[in-house]
Amino acid sequence: MNATEQDLLVQASHLTVRYGARRAVDDLSFSIAKGRVVGLLGHNGAGKTTLMKAMVGLAGAEGSLQVLGLDPRRDRVALLQSACYIPDVATLPRWARVEELITLMAGLHPKFSADRARQLLRRTSVGLSDKVKTLSKGMVAQAHLALVAAIDARLMILDEPTLGLDVLSRKAFYEMLVDEWCDGERSVVISTHQVEEIESLLSDVLMLNEGKLVLSLSLEDIDTRFVALSHDAAVAEQMVAAHPLLRYRAGPGPGHAALFDGAPPAHVQALGQRMRPSLVDLFVALTRKPELDRTQF
Amino acid sequence: MSNIVPLMQREWLQHRFGWSLMAGVPIGLALLLVAFGEVQLDPGEAEAAGDALPAMLAAASIGAGTVLVFLIAWLSSAILVSGLSRRDHADRSVEFWLSLPVGHSRFLAMPLFVHLLLVPAAALLVGLVGGTLVSMVLVGRVAGMGAWFALPWATLVPAALAAVGRLLLGLPLATLWLLPLIMLVVLFTAWFRRWGLIIVGVGAGLGSYLLELVFGQPLLWQAVVDLVRNAALSMAGASQTGPTLQGPENALAVLGALPGWVVSDFGHALALLASPLLAGGLLVAAACFALLVDWRRRGAQAAG
Repeated sequence: MNATEQDLLVQASHLTVRYGARRAVDDLSFSIAKGRVVGLLGHNGAGKTTLMKAMVGLAGAEGSLQVLGLDPRRDRVALLQSACYIPDVATLPRWARVEELITLMAGLHPKFSADRARQLLRRTSVGLSDKVKTLSKGMVAQAHLALVAAIDARLMILDEPTLGLDVLSRKAFYEMLVDEWCDGERSVVISTHQVEEIESLLSDVLMLNEGKLVLSLSLEDIDTRFVALSHDAAVAEQMVAAHPLLRYRAGPGPGHAALFDGAPPAHVQALGQRMRPSLVDLFVALTRKPELDRTQF
Repeated sequence: MSNIVPLMQREWLQHRFGWSLMAGVPIGLALLLVAFGEVQLDPGEAEAAGDALPAMLAAASIGAGTVLVFLIAWLSSAILVSGLSRRDHADRSVEFWLSLPVGHSRFLAMPLFVHLLLVPAAALLVGLVGGTLVSMVLVGRVAGMGAWFALPWATLVPAALAAVGRLLLGLPLATLWLLPLIMLVVLFTAWFRRWGLIIVGVGAGLGSYLLELVFGQPLLWQAVVDLVRNAALSMAGASQTGPTLQGPENALAVLGALPGWVVSDFGHALALLASPLLAGGLLVAAACFALLVDWRRRGAQAAG
């Protein structure tokens, strides 16, 4: 994520968020440049939601955090005029009609365009006169995205936006996100468990494990830094001896693969065939717990 | 950018159906009952009232209609306000509202303003109009429509407007007196969900008992009683005196004296405000509001 200072939309340095004695987010330092689509990955309880809440001023944090050049806690109202946020547990107010939400958003958000929201909603099956309580979960997610995408913001923060949606709804959600928001200038931070589905959207990855940042890298750099070798079972012992981050079954057949941080020794490389490491494998490798050690299978 | 109007609009959009029922049902029922029910008057009293009967019926209808709609609106507002801090948790939309660029203070204050002041005030006006409609039907049935048009409007209108004006002016004062109690309930409901009201009630009772045990006086309970009593006096009766209805013979005189009494009574209600109890109560209310803002700033989660 190399960028000049003025291109950075988010800058965190030694960021820590505590809940009592527990550090939900522990000493994170990272930055997000404009035009990036950043995947925030981590297991349940890894600190993703807490980090996102801190980024929009809804959780107090130690250390330094600047979002769009503002202190999220102190300048929350100003920040939310240029950064929009879909929280994980959010649903739209069930009592409202979609048109009423547009009216309210137009009054409450200075950078919201009602016309743009109506235009975006035409992409969906959601009607303006529909009451939120009559919509399916997927339709609510689409309506919510249409509303926040109609905000002329520079940063969108999405916390598990497609949680609980079926595959068609998830696909429609991400299609709208890519088509209507990602323009190379505005940035998105998405946390999700459906890593495979969004891998193609992402430009960068932030990976959290028990509150700590275990990876902050662009996808291009992942391809150069991490090496995956597919290999036969016969050379498994030699692969293990080279201390891979992770060994796993690759594909439906008997093939195995080993994932290395950095290039493995030349004699090990010769034992297998280099392949692109998937984000899922990397996620498992970097966030696994010892009791789930997949190098032992 | 001013987002006061949109925040008020949100209340309207969310509660307009309930408000319409609240105002429409009692007036509608009263109209139906008066129009199609049996109207029975004591023959002796009716005869004693003589020519003043239509005016007395009209005044009673207008007064009862106004007070009934106001009380229903005020009670439903009080119930709604007690759960205001957590109402968006029920449909899980709290985080949607938190994601909008609206200050916490403003977001919390505007619904309180709407439900504690605007809705009861609007109910007074609706009640006045509804009561007038009921009076038309009632007087029409008892004495004929001509009698309604022939009512002493020059006396009735100023009396009705003065009475409603007195209640309208008293409403903010009564709200000030009740604000510490209201804000305590709102805060404790935010912290402890539905237990909030119980905690405040039990806390006040237990605190009073302990204070009586230690100091020999139920100071806390006395303060609560005084706050409620002064709130009631702020609405009417602060002067402790007023025109007394002795019978049909002085009914119009009482109505005629109402505007003058209202001015004097409101003056007494204003004088009540110079009280250390109110100052202390408002400090408590301000502290509760600050804690509510802090609760929302931390993400509006339950305490503990």
